[in-house]
Amino acid sequence: MAAPRKTFCGSPDHALDRRGFLGAALATGGAFAADMTGLNVLTQAALAGELKKKQRRCILLWLAGGASQLETWDPKPGAATGGPFRAIQTSVPGVHISELMPRMARRLSRNTALVRSLNTRNGDHGGGARLMMRGRRDEANIRYPDLGAVLARELGQTESKVPDYVSFYFATEGRDFAPGAAGFLGSRYAPMELYKSMIPENIRKLDSISALDHKERADLRDFLTRQFERGRSSSTLASHNEAYQRVRGLMACDKLFDIEQEPAKMREHYGPTQFGEQALVARRLVEAGVPFVRVARAWWDSHGQNFETHQELVPELDHVMGALLDDLEQRGLLDSTLVITLAEFGRTPGINASLGRDHFASAWSMSLSGCGIKGGAVYGKTDASGNRVVEGEVGAAEVFATIYAALGINPQKNYYLGSRPIPLTDPGTKPIKEVLA
Amino acid sequence: MRTLSFFSLALLTAWSPLASAADLLPADRPIEQVIDHYIEARLQQEKVVPAGQIDDANLIRRLTLDLNGRIPTAAEVQAFVRSTDPAKRAKLIDRLMASPAFVRHQATEFDTMLMAGTNASIRDYLLKAFANNRSWDRIFRELLLPDENDPQQQGASAFMKPRLTDLDKLTNDVSVAFFGVNVSCARCHDHPLVPDWKQDHFFGMKAFFNRTFDNGGFLGERGYGVLKFKTTKGVEKQAKMMFLTGKVIEAPASSEPSNEEQKKEKAALEEAKRKKKAPPAPSFSARAQLVKVALEPEQRDFFARALVNRLWLRLHGHGLVAPLDQMHSENAPSHPELLTWLARDTVAHGYDVRRLLRGLVMSKTYSRSSRWDGEVTPALNLFAVARVRPLTPMQMATSLRLATSDPASFAADRKPQEVEKKIEQLEGSASGFARLIEQPHEDFQISVSEALLFSNNDRVLREFLAEGGDRLLTRLKQARNPREVIDLAVRNVCSRDPRPEEIPVLVEYLSKRADRPTEAQRQLIWALLTSAEFRFNY
Repeated sequence: MAAPRKTFCGSPDHALDRRGFLGAALATGGAFAADMTGLNVLTQAALAGELKKKQRRCILLWLAGGASQLETWDPKPGAATGGPFRAIQTSVPGVHISELMPRMARRLSRNTALVRSLNTRNGDHGGGARLMMRGRRDEANIRYPDLGAVLARELGQTESKVPDYVSFYFATEGRDFAPGAAGFLGSRYAPMELYKSMIPENIRKLDSISALDHKERADLRDFLTRQFERGRSSSTLASHNEAYQRVRGLMACDKLFDIEQEPAKMREHYGPTQFGEQALVARRLVEAGVPFVRVARAWWDSHGQNFETHQELVPELDHVMGALLDDLEQRGLLDSTLVITLAEFGRTPGINASLGRDHFASAWSMSLSGCGIKGGAVYGKTDASGNRVVEGEVGAAEVFATIYAALGINPQKNYYLGSRPIPLTDPGTKPIKEVLA
Repeated sequence: MRTLSFFSLALLTAWSPLASAADLLPADRPIEQVIDHYIEARLQQEKVVPAGQIDDANLIRRLTLDLNGRIPTAAEVQAFVRSTDPAKRAKLIDRLMASPAFVRHQATEFDTMLMAGTNASIRDYLLKAFANNRSWDRIFRELLLPDENDPQQQGASAFMKPRLTDLDKLTNDVSVAFFGVNVSCARCHDHPLVPDWKQDHFFGMKAFFNRTFDNGGFLGERGYGVLKFKTTKGVEKQAKMMFLTGKVIEAPASSEPSNEEQKKEKAALEEAKRKKKAPPAPSFSARAQLVKVALEPEQRDFFARALVNRLWLRLHGHGLVAPLDQMHSENAPSHPELLTWLARDTVAHGYDVRRLLRGLVMSKTYSRSSRWDGEVTPALNLFAVARVRPLTPMQMATSLRLATSDPASFAADRKPQEVEKKIEQLEGSASGFARLIEQPHEDFQISVSEALLFSNNDRVLREFLAEGGDRLLTRLKQARNPREVIDLAVRNVCSRDPRPEEIPVLVEYLSKRADRPTEAQRQLIWALLTSAEFRFNY
């Protein structure tokens, strides 16, 4: 089934996956500054491949604007406000989802868990998006890192040859509500954000300099910097050099972002949509060792014509998500890759005069698939009309604790901001163990 | 583990913000001598031999970056290095501090510090304030109690205004900026680690701001209004105006106004809005009380120490109290007597920022090498070795401009005013590029996007590496041999002479590209600009 794995960008920089090794080392050792002394073991390709599988990563499908739980994971067909779509039986006995998601219905039991009891108490686009990207509310004078930055730090590697955090957000709607934020972790963990082009900014050489001169100029810079660094040490100084050391690796990554590198059949598998193409790039990236990729699909904010909007967007989500999970599974990557669907909030059961559904943070749903997740698990319950959570209420903190736990990260791990310990999730927060494998 | 060490620290230290000054060095000693005395004393106690003093080229670079926000010109370096005047350091410092660039750099630094987390700027106000060497207590008063009708204070109210929508943030921002105290932990509960900070402190500070509001773009304040909060036990409490020292301000009994009074008040506010004027100040202003109490002899220690610590941090990359916003009994200063002496001196000399800065940069502690040849680097808080500090966006952008300009524009035979003017122009043209550079902060990490920007962006090529009448590259083309190119380029970019160990490498780089000399020179400039040496104040 799995074709012999290629080094995807065709660059020798990726032939040796030190990242995979370190990802594994991090998962077991828990140390941030990993020991580089054992790296020569990775010259054995087989071992490198093995380690690569162990490295954990995450793809977030961000349903910007707020997808309706009623037209996706938690339909209420009998209710007065259930809407026109039917619910269909999934491969998990007794569990139904919207008829707009036949593909996910068929494969729900394989790798996917649903959480149907989110009460996140923030129905504002900006506040909700920040909350669901960071797992907690802003606090005066603490800039919290978002999920991508935390995972970049926890699962990435200092001298990585690939980006740590890539974010696709082509739509303009809602983009500014929660820009990728490394917060107090610093810009080392800031996202490589793609707004317009499928290729990141500044990763391609200008034509005015030859490839050889570009390289040798960097070598000369390196020589001068090494002279300067003798007898001087600081983490900021080190970060400067690391940043330049990563340039060539990242430039060599431009092929990772190029779907032309994929066979036509694979591109058909994901479909010709922008969302599909970005999901395919996301798969290429995680396969090459990128720990976190966000693919935003906008704009789900259906204050008017909710049903038309969802009739258009949900089948696309169903197709792309199903294709992504199938592809990851076939490549043996799904065990180590967590795929999440999440938004800033869900939508009201009540249908307004414009046949829309409004912002609703009190009872909505998300999905988690793959790495560390119990396939077919359904957690939490809303009442018959979907107005409130009646079982297993959870908030953003529990969602984040669950994500961290699924990826093998201790949700109570502390960062230090000056002298103040900042746990990854607020003290006492418990992961939803029912959805964890 | 970490929290445990905090409690043990509490047992070990008897530091109090109001420690007696009786045993300190005499008040009339020069600031720099006092700094060196206390820093040396601690080094001896710890048996650490500090790094040596930097050479002249390094000194003028450090001073020019710190005082004027740019690297020195090649001509300035040469003149300073060659001078045999024993007082040349003091003269250089005085020249730099007399330059308009000093005022601009101060304004930029303080604007960044005071306006962090907002999109607003008070730089225009600060330019005026520092040009007139306004004292720090006056600036504090004008920012918190701006008279919006006084042209001298124009723009000062922009400190408060963008923060009025979030009084929690305003409270904490003021506490951090002016008193070195982060009280935000105490908003939801008494501080878990620091017995100094209770919820009463947070809400006590907030009570000074609770009556302030925006009235049609002008600051308004009511003479009444109480602030209530819930304790962790769920008990509702009314906050008293209380300064960080615990000093409580008893507000005159104020009752909620009657309907009649409310109507009158509303009419007055509407009237002010219509006339585009600040509404009348209340007879009892809570904000004015904060300004008053913070500067009272018994309470002003926080204010003075926070200023000293902030400037120390700026020049040394590490505070006497670190982190900067953790000035409390559980986090002793590394040199308690020094901080106390400097705070006392600052108060005694009317919070004169310029005088304090001058003393700081005159010390031997300031001019230590950033290079450590020993095995284990000493702890940061010993100040045994200088810390390398990343350039700020404006330092970086202005220095990039200067480093890539033709040195002839700044030659020693040019009129000083002409050079000054030219530098001001460069600085003005640098602000666009500065926006692409990130402002350094604690534990700052330089991002890969910066490295990618410099490696592959067309703008870097156009702004710094192009040919043109006043560009370095054009000057290099006229050099007769590689060695001359290297001398010119290294002096202009690195503010020093080339070193013997780098000359052969650079010569080889150029010689290998004899068929494309301009490209080779462009690449040489690029490598110098992107080396860590240029990126840092070292």
